[in-house]
Amino acid sequence: MLAIQLAITGLQTGALYALTAVGFSLIFGSTRIFHFAHGATFVVAAYLFYAVFNAGWGVAPGILAAAIGAVVFGLALDRLVYVPIQRHEGSFFTVFVASFGVGIAVQNIIGMVFGRGFVTVNTSLSRSVEMFDNIYVSPLAWIAILCAVVFLGGLQFVLLKTHVGMSLRALSDNPELVRTFGLDPRRIEAMAFAIGSLLVVPAAIITSATTGLNPSVGHHVMLISLAATIVGGIGSIPGTVLAGVLLGLAESMALLVVDSQWTEAVTFAILFAFIIIRPSGLLGRTIAH
Amino acid sequence: MSITLRNTFAAVGALVCLAQPLAAADHTIGALFPLSGPNAVYGDVFMSGADLAVDHINADGILSGPLSIAYEDSQGLPQPAVVGMTKLVNVTKVPYTLSAFTGVSKAISTLAMRNKVVAVNGGGVGPDLATLGEYFWNVIPLANLEVRAIVPYMVNERKLTKVALIYIDDPLGQAMEAEFETELPKVGAELVEAYSVPTTAQQFSGVAAQVRSSGADVVYVASYGNQQIQIVKQLRDNGVDAQLASYSGYAVPDAFALPESEGMLITGQGVDLEAQDPVTKRFVTDYRAKYDRDPTAYNINYYNATLLYGVLAAAIEKDGNDVTGEALLNKRKEMGSFDLVGGTVTFQDNGTLLFPIQVKEIKNGAAEALTSVNFE
Repeated sequence: MLAIQLAITGLQTGALYALTAVGFSLIFGSTRIFHFAHGATFVVAAYLFYAVFNAGWGVAPGILAAAIGAVVFGLALDRLVYVPIQRHEGSFFTVFVASFGVGIAVQNIIGMVFGRGFVTVNTSLSRSVEMFDNIYVSPLAWIAILCAVVFLGGLQFVLLKTHVGMSLRALSDNPELVRTFGLDPRRIEAMAFAIGSLLVVPAAIITSATTGLNPSVGHHVMLISLAATIVGGIGSIPGTVLAGVLLGLAESMALLVVDSQWTEAVTFAILFAFIIIRPSGLLGRTIAH
Repeated sequence: MSITLRNTFAAVGALVCLAQPLAAADHTIGALFPLSGPNAVYGDVFMSGADLAVDHINADGILSGPLSIAYEDSQGLPQPAVVGMTKLVNVTKVPYTLSAFTGVSKAISTLAMRNKVVAVNGGGVGPDLATLGEYFWNVIPLANLEVRAIVPYMVNERKLTKVALIYIDDPLGQAMEAEFETELPKVGAELVEAYSVPTTAQQFSGVAAQVRSSGADVVYVASYGNQQIQIVKQLRDNGVDAQLASYSGYAVPDAFALPESEGMLITGQGVDLEAQDPVTKRFVTDYRAKYDRDPTAYNINYYNATLLYGVLAAAIEKDGNDVTGEALLNKRKEMGSFDLVGGTVTFQDNGTLLFPIQVKEIKNGAAEALTSVNFE
């Protein structure tokens, strides 16, 4: 029974990991920008939802504020940080440092505004109910899984069946070709940031009600996103989703054999194993040296 | 006007008299409190007690100069605490500093000992804080006493014999686990499971599933700061309906305000706020007036720790000596007992004060005393 319970818990965690990781993977895959501030986008969305909800405005305005805030933040970062760096032909490392700096700055600003302690959105949806014989599932767990299916299914549809998706894939494959066809790579890059940032919103909102928030929660989100992107295969959206779910499951199921203090180590052991044994990840293409 | 010898002496005398207040020594003590980070919730609580003692000491004029506290941010973590302690010792040159948190206290204790600076803990409760040397004092009963008080109560009064422990993976948590392993068998109870959690963990739904499977009657949470609040919330969110229990670290306003805390058993030092001795009466009256709420044990401890400096330093100055860490230690040993909030108290040989421990239940967002245990 414990194994089943942990599997369900892991599935919920994995769904949230998939949602957060896939945004990072989409941005990195299509723009080659190492968007370390993706964790900061998560924090901005989560705290905006918390602020609006706690002000008594309700769930829908909270979701709207979080979505708008995440998209605006992602687009602003692209326009104000990454584009200028690219214009000056900044290196991959320059982008990484700038992105890391943005993450730290956001963490501190959130800390100044909301305090550095944990905050939680109080809702009865986080309270589990017994489904059958000592197996408890909260409504938010179902919502997390449903969100993952809807958002990630929607993303796959957009990528495969729409003009936007084809543009994103084209940018990922060959930016020069994009220009040849008269498309503006900057606009496609902006779309990647908008969609990628939007994808963290459900995970950010659900986290605010389940495990709570503090300003540094973005670091964990970023590490998981990075691990899922690598384990899933850089550039592979289905691979990232699969890896996110697997990492969530592994982290939870590991409790059957190790103390909870070692679960993060399990995640990164899997990451190291993939880097050494299968560097291309689960569904990724072989990385050219 | 001619300058006579008498006038010269008079002028010099007047200058000496005028200069007297300038010659009076300002007193500065240090404090290593978590002012930022996940444990910052404690910083304000600790400061409110210490600051009130400073107000009282300065108002009474018992020292040759005004007393102030140099606060350094420990974040509740050993490394920033060592940086802060180094500054307090080498730059601010304090003879006496307030400390909090078990890990922090252990980290700074060697600096305190090496530099002969008294460090006084009023918040950390790890049992091994009693073994950090003669320059490290505790004005708070340590957690071993809290465990020894609650275990018989849980077993004898509530018939809770299967205990699951969730403990933070640091010196406090490890010491608490050792204490439970020793104490439970003495009263015919057992530790059915012990789960250690990292200091940074936020996700406890998996631990909650394990706790449910353990069949425990009572779940004891030995963590602190916001983490302990998250543990309690997520235990309840994930279907754990066993009795919950914790120690004095849970006695913070954020924890009491959590609906899931209702019915929890916690322990803490027992202080009668209605006691009529002048020190307690003045503290309680002024605390309520200044902060518009009742004081907690932490407020009392840091008030006592600061007041203790005032009493010792005043006695040293009365003897005509400099106030150094060594002089403070010698004076404490010489005086023996002190009138602090809670009554007249005496230090044990290991530098720790004994207080009765109360077992309390959280009802309507406040702790209600159930029983009190005295230790000799």
